[in-house]
Amino acid sequence: MSFWEYVGTRHAQLLTDTYQHASVVFQCMVLATVLGVLIGVVTYGSEWAGGLATTSTATVLTIPSLALIGLLIPVVGLGVPPTVIALTLYGLLPVVRNAIVGLRGVDPALVDAAKGIGMSRTARLVRVELPLAWPPILTGIRVATQMLMGIAAIAAFASGPGLGNEIFRGIASLGSANSLNQVLAGTVGIVILALLFDAAYVLIGRLTISRGIRA
Amino acid sequence: MTSGPGGSGGASGGRKVDGLAHLDDADMAERETAAGEAPVRAPAPGARRISWQKWTFMPVFLVAALLATWLWFRGARLDSIAHQAVDNGKVWLALRQHIQLTAVSTFFVLIIAIPLGIALTRARLRRATPVAMAVANLGQAIPALGLLVLLVIWLGIGARSAIVGMVIYAVLPVLANTIAGLRGIDPTLTEAARGIGMSPTGVLRKVELPLAVPLILAGVRTALVLNVGTATLATFGGGGGLGDLISAGIITQRMPVLILGSVLTVALALLVEWLASLAELLLRPRGLEGTS
Repeated sequence: MSFWEYVGTRHAQLLTDTYQHASVVFQCMVLATVLGVLIGVVTYGSEWAGGLATTSTATVLTIPSLALIGLLIPVVGLGVPPTVIALTLYGLLPVVRNAIVGLRGVDPALVDAAKGIGMSRTARLVRVELPLAWPPILTGIRVATQMLMGIAAIAAFASGPGLGNEIFRGIASLGSANSLNQVLAGTVGIVILALLFDAAYVLIGRLTISRGIRA
Repeated sequence: MTSGPGGSGGASGGRKVDGLAHLDDADMAERETAAGEAPVRAPAPGARRISWQKWTFMPVFLVAALLATWLWFRGARLDSIAHQAVDNGKVWLALRQHIQLTAVSTFFVLIIAIPLGIALTRARLRRATPVAMAVANLGQAIPALGLLVLLVIWLGIGARSAIVGMVIYAVLPVLANTIAGLRGIDPTLTEAARGIGMSPTGVLRKVELPLAVPLILAGVRTALVLNVGTATLATFGGGGGLGDLISAGIITQRMPVLILGSVLTVALALLVEWLASLAELLLRPRGLEGTS
């Protein structure tokens, strides 16, 4: 069976897997973005706390994903929970790091000016600092998403959702006629998803980056 | 990755000499997008200073974690299936295989990526640089698992396919790092070197390479950390390594085996990262201290 025949006959299964892959990465990325920006906002003011946040999230990233998932299974079981926890943890680092760098990079004169016209602490953060720090944060989200695409494939080994299942079905039937098709379909699917997400982020950047700081 | 001394300063001070290359892409892209605003990020003073607490924390933590795991594992009740997974020195074998996979693939990554990076920044090949960077960025979209398994199907089961996959996967970020770093060298320095009559080889050997040492060391660290991680996937292609223990633990639902394999893998990864950042700090040329 050629690759295209394979894709043609299994398109229902492939579409479900693709949708689930995109969905789990997207949801974990939303979670990681919210948590990451929060951590960044809380810690960027202090040299020590910012350093600790960056160092600890960097340490998490050093841990091989299969091992982290392996450590999560005895605690939360198989399936979706370890996948979501692992993906969110791995997604945090680029967001936290870029949020801290971005927030620290905001020109203090601008924050001063905002203070001068009577903005509260929250208003300064929401209307001045975060919009100015948004481009690096968005870059962090892009990098993290690409990474999560690959990690989500590995999470399928712990019965997680997504295209990784296609790859593991191929491994299980190694040597059979369809194993190459299965692995190829899973891998190519993930690459396409990664590129689509990347294109979406470019579009989001166009729409959300404040016009004043657009290059 | 900025654990250790780079910790707080890594984000602003040592951005070019950072761990994983895709993060550096983030930094580069971020610098591009943020180019419009006033760059007010002075490198943090003393960012590379050694602090004893930071450097002793990791080994102490690892020893404690490994000891706790060992004591717990000795007390855990193992049935015949769990015994089969860990008896007869299988744990040591997996650990040794994992270290071998990492070391061999890192060696090949370095001897491919660094000379290629140097070649691609020479005047004659400079036009190919954007192409190489684009390929390197595109390569990041390929999942490591898929790449590895495709190679296993193509080259057959075993450690060799795993190593080829690991090398391909890690070459791209290290190459991107090397190119970015060599291009980041202040052009006035190379111009001055040419001005005093140095040959192109002289400029490369006496100016560019010494200035790129931190970068090459960062490349070593990137490759090592990536490869320790990717080596866990070798098990899916019959390549051995600690992934064997993890996958055996998951498949047979034997938690002691799973935890032992995972803890050893995590400990090895953190140890390798710690050693690499220590080497990065100690081998850094004295003249570059305090600069970024």
